[in-house]
Amino acid sequence: MMEPESISAGSGGRLTAAAGAVVLRYLRGAGDFCAYVVSIFQSFRSLRFIRMRSVNAIILNQIVYTGVHALPITFVIAGLLGGVVIIQGMTNLPKFGIEGYFDNLLVIIIARELGPLVTALIVIGRSGSAMSTEIATQKWSREILSLEIAGIDPRLFIVIPRVAASIVSIFCLIIFFDIAAFMGGYVISLTQIYVPVGVFFQNLVFSFSLTDLLSTVIKSLLFGLLVPLISCYYGMMPRSKFEIPIYVSRAVSRTLFIIVVLNAAVSALFYFSWME
Amino acid sequence: MRIDPRSHIAAIRQRLGRTEYRVGLFIVIPAFFILLFILLRLGYSLTASTMDVYVRVNSITSLKEGTPVQIKGYRLGRVVEIRPLFKPALHFLATLRISREIELYEDCAAVITNQNVIGDPVVELRNPERKGAFLREGDVLEGIESGSLEEMMAKVNTLLTEVTAIVTVYREVSQESRGDIRKLIVSLSDSIANINTIIQNTQMDIINIIGSMRKTSQTLDDVATEIKKNPMKFLFQGKK
Repeated sequence: MMEPESISAGSGGRLTAAAGAVVLRYLRGAGDFCAYVVSIFQSFRSLRFIRMRSVNAIILNQIVYTGVHALPITFVIAGLLGGVVIIQGMTNLPKFGIEGYFDNLLVIIIARELGPLVTALIVIGRSGSAMSTEIATQKWSREILSLEIAGIDPRLFIVIPRVAASIVSIFCLIIFFDIAAFMGGYVISLTQIYVPVGVFFQNLVFSFSLTDLLSTVIKSLLFGLLVPLISCYYGMMPRSKFEIPIYVSRAVSRTLFIIVVLNAAVSALFYFSWME
Repeated sequence: MRIDPRSHIAAIRQRLGRTEYRVGLFIVIPAFFILLFILLRLGYSLTASTMDVYVRVNSITSLKEGTPVQIKGYRLGRVVEIRPLFKPALHFLATLRISREIELYEDCAAVITNQNVIGDPVVELRNPERKGAFLREGDVLEGIESGSLEEMMAKVNTLLTEVTAIVTVYREVSQESRGDIRKLIVSLSDSIANINTIIQNTQMDIINIIGSMRKTSQTLDDVATEIKKNPMKFLFQGKK
């Protein structure tokens, strides 16, 4: 029969080992991802061997899928979010005697935070999962192997056009999102108080600082870079067709987590008082 | 030779292809908005030498389209539009198109006044004593109505009408109530006479009551004296 002390020490040891294994697994995963990113940058060396026309076509098609086709859903979500923010503002701001600050509220909530974040979520939901699935299917059907045999670097041909397209698409979608949200907010605000459209947008422009614009650009660059990189990374992972859904789901969940953390980090960097 | 813009766009579309055209639009529209935003933030204006600001007023008795706008007698522009607003309560928003040549501050006052003996209305802008941010395109000022002859005459007229109505009502009331007042006065004098009689009678009764109370107290004094003298006799009086 085992002594109670040895049992607790044994279970403590097992717990420590389990925690260590988890940490090691994450570190190994992060290391693999870094190596993958470095290999993508290294693949630029073989850029001269590739026809830019085909890369351009991939970029254009990816922008159409990630950006242009996402416009309707972006408009709807943005308009509704803008309206909701204004409804909450109209309900609660008069309690504090600051009911004239609808435009500032829209800029703070929509342009600074919700715009980049929700746009990234839309892109992850639509395009990130699609990219992972597409690449995983290409790998399973040995199309990627065929590219390598033909002497084409698959990272250069598959990943880099998607990164470029995602950066452009996310940035443009954020701008469209902000415009739609402002319009939705304005329409809802008209039910309670009349503000001339020129005045409303004038105030918006002056509430939206160049720091806000810089933060939006940086967020769109980071999100545009990370969403396709993580999606393509997990798309390359499956070794059989049965693993495809597992890695696609993992790609979406990890991208979501990283984007939310990154959004908070960039906001803290730009808007914490110690940065001013 | 005149170029039809629609055919021109169709030609571009054919040459570029549908995907390129859509991607181009997708990138150009946000780029345009970003450029516009940066220009506005840097202080550039899309309009020429004038800007539109708004004045909120409760009534437009003395304000109409074309009313001049001035500062210290110098004409800056005019009222170009007046529109009613219904929220939260009925008021009006006048659009002033004014020149940018004079620096105005956002806390300036818009006083609606009369500029001459005839009483032509004018919107007089007055800069605040302390300079703040500049007045910008689209800013809204609160209109202050001051010295409007038309409005003053209207108010005096209303006042006179009300005074006449009140005097008429008083006259009617006094005529109708004259008889009632007379009856009331007669009744009041009767009531006073009755009250006087009651008081006189009551006085006699009070004197009698006081006399009997005095007698009672005298009797009680006698009884007390007797008790002091022969207490046992008083206590056992009537017992064998």
